[in-house]
Amino acid sequence: MDYYLGVFQTIGVHTLLGLSAYILLLTGQVSMAQIGFFAIGAYSSGVLTVIFSWHIYPALAFGALLASFFAFLVGFPALRVKGLMLVIATIAFSEIVRLITFNFVWMVEKDGIMVGADGAQGFREIRYFTTNGWESSQVVTLIWIFVVIVMAMLWWLDRVKAGAVLRAVGNDELAAQSSGINLTTVKVAAMTAGGFIAGLGGGLYAHAVSYVDHITFTILMATFAISYPILGGTKNVFGTLLAVIFIQGILIEAFRFLEDWRLIIFGLLIVLVMNFMPDGLVSAFKKSTSGKDK
Amino acid sequence: MSILKVDNLCKNFGGVQAVNGLNFEINEGEIFGLIGPNGSGKSTTINVICGLYQPSEGSVFLNGKKINGLKPNQCVDMGISRTFQNIRLFGDLTVWQNLWVAWKDDKNNQSSWFSNWFGKSETREKLISDLLKFSGLETRANDLASNLSFGEQRRLELARAVASKPKLIFLDEPAAGMNKEEVKELRDRIFRLRDLGITIFLVEHVMDLVMNVSNRITVLNFGKVISEGNPESVQNDKSVQEAYFGQ
Amino acid sequence: MNIEFIDIVQSLIDGVLYGSTYALIGLGFTLIFGAMEKLNMAYAASSIGGAYVGLGVSVLLSLPLYAIFLIGPIGGGLLSVLVYICCFRYLPSNNHLAALMASIGGLFFIDEIISHETDGSPLDFPELGIFSEAYFEIEFSDMFLGFRGDLIFVMFASFLAMLMLMYLLYRTRLGLATRAVSQQPVAAQLCGISIHQTNSITFILAGVLGGIAGCLAAASVGVISPLLVLPLTVKGLIVTVIGGLGSIRGAIIAGLLVGGLESVFLLLRGVNERDIYVFLLLFVFLVFRPNGFFGAEIDRD
Repeated sequence: MDYYLGVFQTIGVHTLLGLSAYILLLTGQVSMAQIGFFAIGAYSSGVLTVIFSWHIYPALAFGALLASFFAFLVGFPALRVKGLMLVIATIAFSEIVRLITFNFVWMVEKDGIMVGADGAQGFREIRYFTTNGWESSQVVTLIWIFVVIVMAMLWWLDRVKAGAVLRAVGNDELAAQSSGINLTTVKVAAMTAGGFIAGLGGGLYAHAVSYVDHITFTILMATFAISYPILGGTKNVFGTLLAVIFIQGILIEAFRFLEDWRLIIFGLLIVLVMNFMPDGLVSAFKKSTSGKDK
Repeated sequence: MSILKVDNLCKNFGGVQAVNGLNFEINEGEIFGLIGPNGSGKSTTINVICGLYQPSEGSVFLNGKKINGLKPNQCVDMGISRTFQNIRLFGDLTVWQNLWVAWKDDKNNQSSWFSNWFGKSETREKLISDLLKFSGLETRANDLASNLSFGEQRRLELARAVASKPKLIFLDEPAAGMNKEEVKELRDRIFRLRDLGITIFLVEHVMDLVMNVSNRITVLNFGKVISEGNPESVQNDKSVQEAYFGQ
Repeated sequence: MNIEFIDIVQSLIDGVLYGSTYALIGLGFTLIFGAMEKLNMAYAASSIGGAYVGLGVSVLLSLPLYAIFLIGPIGGGLLSVLVYICCFRYLPSNNHLAALMASIGGLFFIDEIISHETDGSPLDFPELGIFSEAYFEIEFSDMFLGFRGDLIFVMFASFLAMLMLMYLLYRTRLGLATRAVSQQPVAAQLCGISIHQTNSITFILAGVLGGIAGCLAAASVGVISPLLVLPLTVKGLIVTVIGGLGSIRGAIIAGLLVGGLESVFLLLRGVNERDIYVFLLLFVFLVFRPNGFFGAEIDRD
């Protein structure tokens, strides 16, 4: 039973990560920054519950808000770089965040032991759930409640003007601008929203597994985040969810037989899927992003 | 009454002088044609006025206000809109969504920010439907723009330009690729737009259309004005004939 | 710790010399981008992989040490063209995203295979023999600036490689074809140039360059490890961006610049924070000059 709970947990957290990249992909922004926002959410909410003994919900909210604040800041320079350059810039951002967590030390003594973030050793003992009597199943349910809420909101977004505007920007920035859309507003808003979702995911993840460190936040995870909406296609949110289930499902199954060949399989999987289904698993993602735009 | 005034407009790209000291004025409510051989700077003129490029020199005035250097979406806020030579619809959006995205509510009918972005409005929906009917697209409302026929796509582009409630519309070669029937329909639609009070700036190669609808025409060659006047006088102007046909 | 100006200059010198390897990697990225408008994320991986191949083959066949520096680049070229076939050849040419993802997949694939075959532990890589013994000093108002022999060799070898590349690109028909394909793929095809062949050759060239870079980088520190792959990828991308995507001059200058500055950051802030400043440098560039040193001037469009 615990095994399946672990699977649901992973899929849930990765779906949040994927959805945060999804909303950016709608506007045509390929972002590797989501894991950076994830890290900000993870560490800040962890600090609040562990060091300041906050309740989990305000801590998660703060983590998500802080992540969205940084996303807002990143959104502006992101406007200046197109396509593949944005990929590189966001990789650099995530790496900066990762290196900061590598150096981040904030420990206090509680009940005789030192708790908190310990630089390269990571942030251990994020034990809010266990200390407060949460069962694993309840934690996983909480994660999935958030996943469902985020998915519902993104699905609803497509039924109102905001969603159409996001996609218009992703389709053709020039035409969008010439139709009266303010690109800055839309793209920065998307980045901020994506940051919020990623920060939320980070906070949930940190508390669910009780330990995060800089290795959690590598480019590999950034790649997972963006590969879900690419594989799943941007037609709707379910594509991303499907992609998470597909990739994590295969990886987890493979893990059973092939131990730590995960990355080799992941790499191979992506190469194969991209060769045979370049437009994604679910449906077309037609917009091509290029460094020399238009 | 002058709605658009272009004053010594120049635009160069590196060594190429695309637009070279353009001067003209457009009056409210008229249909103004801009013609000229390929490469004469017609599209560049539209692109500069509509905010895609910054002028290298000179100014553009909309209703007396200088609009140099405004971004395209700011130009739309000021009451300008445009179509493109190569159709630039939002292919992954439906016909309805293409209009919705560009839609601006009437001044006396403004909805709140929230309602505009996240809400629904019966009035707005009826008005968008009317626009669809005007363009002959009401049966295609829920189809993806990329699935439309060429003629339908052109009509949608025009409708989208109208959706942002412009006072002045720039049409960049709207008749390109159209057959005679479609050109006739386009002509009728242009007249109906004028009757609604919209000023029209028409860049076109299809002489049938531009000569029939324009009140005045300006002729460009090598980025400079070589003739202006009503359609008849322009047609008879020797310098225009030279520009198009050579000596 | 008292850091004097002379120390900064010294570390700048060491960094710039070492930075020639970054220049090579940046060159490889920029070559491929220039030819196909795509980013080959697996490039640094295939380069380090080439160095591994060089080491492995030499050890297996008990070849003399200098053989590594010949086999390594060949290995790099082979791996690179393999990446081309798996991640670029069969993908629709206008789908940049798919190619990006596929090459990221290739990156992880190669990285993990290396980790697996070596159990993740670093291997000894031969240093540059007599060159690492050499050490030149210049007196500078009674302070000394030292030039490591092996780093001088690294720079020299890198520049030789760059010169050969320039020769190939600008003085041979092959290079002409490559440049034609990068500028106008359809027109080039109409002239009878095979796009896939030309792109394969671009990848091979880049791969050989990368293999040289991989060997030089490993040789100057004396170890080779899969942990080199990701940092080299990121540094290479940064160099490419700062230099301007597609610009050869840019990649060279930016490589030296990044190498030098990285070394100075190391001196001033230590190894844990060094990379943060390198990435911040990237951001500064992106804000003020998004197209790098020599990319085309960014237009509002």
